[in-house]
Amino acid sequence: MKYQITIGWLYQDLMNTYGDRGNVICLKKRCEWRNIDCNIIELNIGFNKEELKKCDLLFMGGAQDRQQRIVTKDIKGEKSKIIKKMIDDDKVPGLFICGAYQFLGNYYKEADGKIIECLEILDLYTESPKKNKKRLIGNIALKSNLFEGEPYTLIGFENHGGSTYLGKNLKPLGKVMTGYGNNGEDNTEGVIFNNIIGTYLHGPILPKNPLLADFLIRAALKRKYKNGILEKLNDKLEIKARKAIANKLGVEL
Amino acid sequence: MINLFLILLGKFTLLISRSLNLGHGSTWPGHVALSINKNFIKQIFKKSKSKIVFIAGTNGKTTTAKLIQTILEQNGKKVFINQSGANLLNGISSSIIEHSTMFGKIRCDYFIFEIDENTLPLSVSEITPDYLIILNLFRDQLDRYGEVDTIAKNWKKSINKLPESSLVFLNVDDPKIAYIGKGINAKKLFFGLNDKGLGQKDFQHASDSLYCPNCDEKLEYETVFYSHLGIWHCNKCNLKRPLLSIDNTSYYPMSGIYNRYNTLASVLFAKTIGIDETNINNALENYSPAFGRQEKIIIDNKNIQLFLSKNPTSFNESLRTIKELNAKNILIVLNNRIPDGLDVSWIWDIDIEKYVDGFNQIFVSGDRCFDMGLRIKYALENQKSKIKNQNYNSKFKILENLNDAIKISLEKTPEKNVLYILPTYSAMLEIRKILTGRKIL
Repeated sequence: MKYQITIGWLYQDLMNTYGDRGNVICLKKRCEWRNIDCNIIELNIGFNKEELKKCDLLFMGGAQDRQQRIVTKDIKGEKSKIIKKMIDDDKVPGLFICGAYQFLGNYYKEADGKIIECLEILDLYTESPKKNKKRLIGNIALKSNLFEGEPYTLIGFENHGGSTYLGKNLKPLGKVMTGYGNNGEDNTEGVIFNNIIGTYLHGPILPKNPLLADFLIRAALKRKYKNGILEKLNDKLEIKARKAIANKLGVEL
Repeated sequence: MINLFLILLGKFTLLISRSLNLGHGSTWPGHVALSINKNFIKQIFKKSKSKIVFIAGTNGKTTTAKLIQTILEQNGKKVFINQSGANLLNGISSSIIEHSTMFGKIRCDYFIFEIDENTLPLSVSEITPDYLIILNLFRDQLDRYGEVDTIAKNWKKSINKLPESSLVFLNVDDPKIAYIGKGINAKKLFFGLNDKGLGQKDFQHASDSLYCPNCDEKLEYETVFYSHLGIWHCNKCNLKRPLLSIDNTSYYPMSGIYNRYNTLASVLFAKTIGIDETNINNALENYSPAFGRQEKIIIDNKNIQLFLSKNPTSFNESLRTIKELNAKNILIVLNNRIPDGLDVSWIWDIDIEKYVDGFNQIFVSGDRCFDMGLRIKYALENQKSKIKNQNYNSKFKILENLNDAIKISLEKTPEKNVLYILPTYSAMLEIRKILTGRKIL
């Protein structure tokens, strides 16, 4: 039997600021190279909420404030409830980058104290930078224990104004080796809850961290077919790209 | 009177800094003048008949400045041209000192300044330009310039302050730029395209302004020329592209849709100051491209053409243009130094999938060659390639060393073909240095 997964790409024409499309390209190709069919449904403003039920994997990229405002109007209510259920109960895997990661939390607090409601799917919140605090920009590397075997180094580029703080019961995606991460204070980066990953890493994150891409594909297949065995791919070029940047950052892979 | 003294002092400082070889483009004389009289620039320009032209936009500033310079100079005007940077005001004040007589008279008819995204507000508040040309606004070096919406907001604020005496030229095919022109005091003229034959079917992926700048509704496009530039309107608030003052001209010196816009901006400007079309065209026939902007170089009987490709839109348009030129051999050089932006994520916003099949040889080099290599790998290999990704297409090669990359990609380019090189900014300077054996800037 030929396996098939469907990726729901949330608001691709609005939430797409930092090359995050590369994550979708990466997931699709890594499926196809293994002879797994991969469909992508674009869930844009006004999409029918029933579409969500077809999705085996969710993806949402980062955005600017205005775009996020437009998306909020569309996603609040029914759609947001369905997504919460997919994450909480059905353990559908997903990747939420930067603005989308902040979006999963309880709220975003602006510099003037104004609270912007978020989707309240995960117990985390984000604060806008205090006056005179710079945006958190630069290369970043972190160690993650998410994967079987040795801890794995995730590499990317971060560029965010907000600082995110996780609730007590949430686990970070990894520990910062170099860079800022969630807030530049507590050494955490991102979040992992059930099969959902939230992170500030651009780059985009998946092409240079193929283990993370495979983690998401595996989780989708396990849910759908009770079989998460993935054929090994030739990642020589990926490894070279990882080594090149790790050397520059002075971190071990 | 104080300014006359400052000019003399500046000229003296300039002489010393040059004879001591403290750097050719020194902004030191200007710094000295401004620290003694902070209104130095304003006062000098107020007394002078010289006109000031600002050119802003993500892509096309250098080419447009050079087009205008060519038209003006070929029509007997004296032109000074400068790129902005962190030292913008010191630079401007230094250039005044350099181009003034001992008696404080400026020997230049036009000062043209390229203004980058972040310096536009400062430039406009310090100096009132007679002419301001705004070309476009795309995502570019988000780690350095910030997000497109923020830039547009800052631009609008500062352009609102321009007086009636200023004339603003706007590319209204870009919805954000059209919106910037709404309700301003300055006079305005609009340029854009109407020839639907030049349009494309789909949006490019990295399109930024698909939603109405006024009411956030998704815009309707009758035609898309490139990225988010096109004939657009909003169904909800009825905002629409205003009528154009120019949509075509009889001679374009360079290929590519993006250069149509640059040419139209220049021609509209030239006509406005009273140069007629025949004289404009005669001048443009003598145009030679700016560094790296479709610049042609011949090495050992092999033809090379450089297409500076510095952000998703400029990269997409380079690919589209070289495809029209039937490119077969290409070399992509990706650096991420300060002038390029440190973040290379943007290469995933390029629609390179559409073009890779048409090339016979794709070489990749630069500081981040493996990142670009991955991008190409994901664009080249598809499901049908039975070999999976064990052996990716033999036409694709990564060469870390730039000298080797240029040498080998040239060797592999047949003599009748052209090697098209697509570099980021710092890579372009490096390549020119290697190819011409001398350093620029």
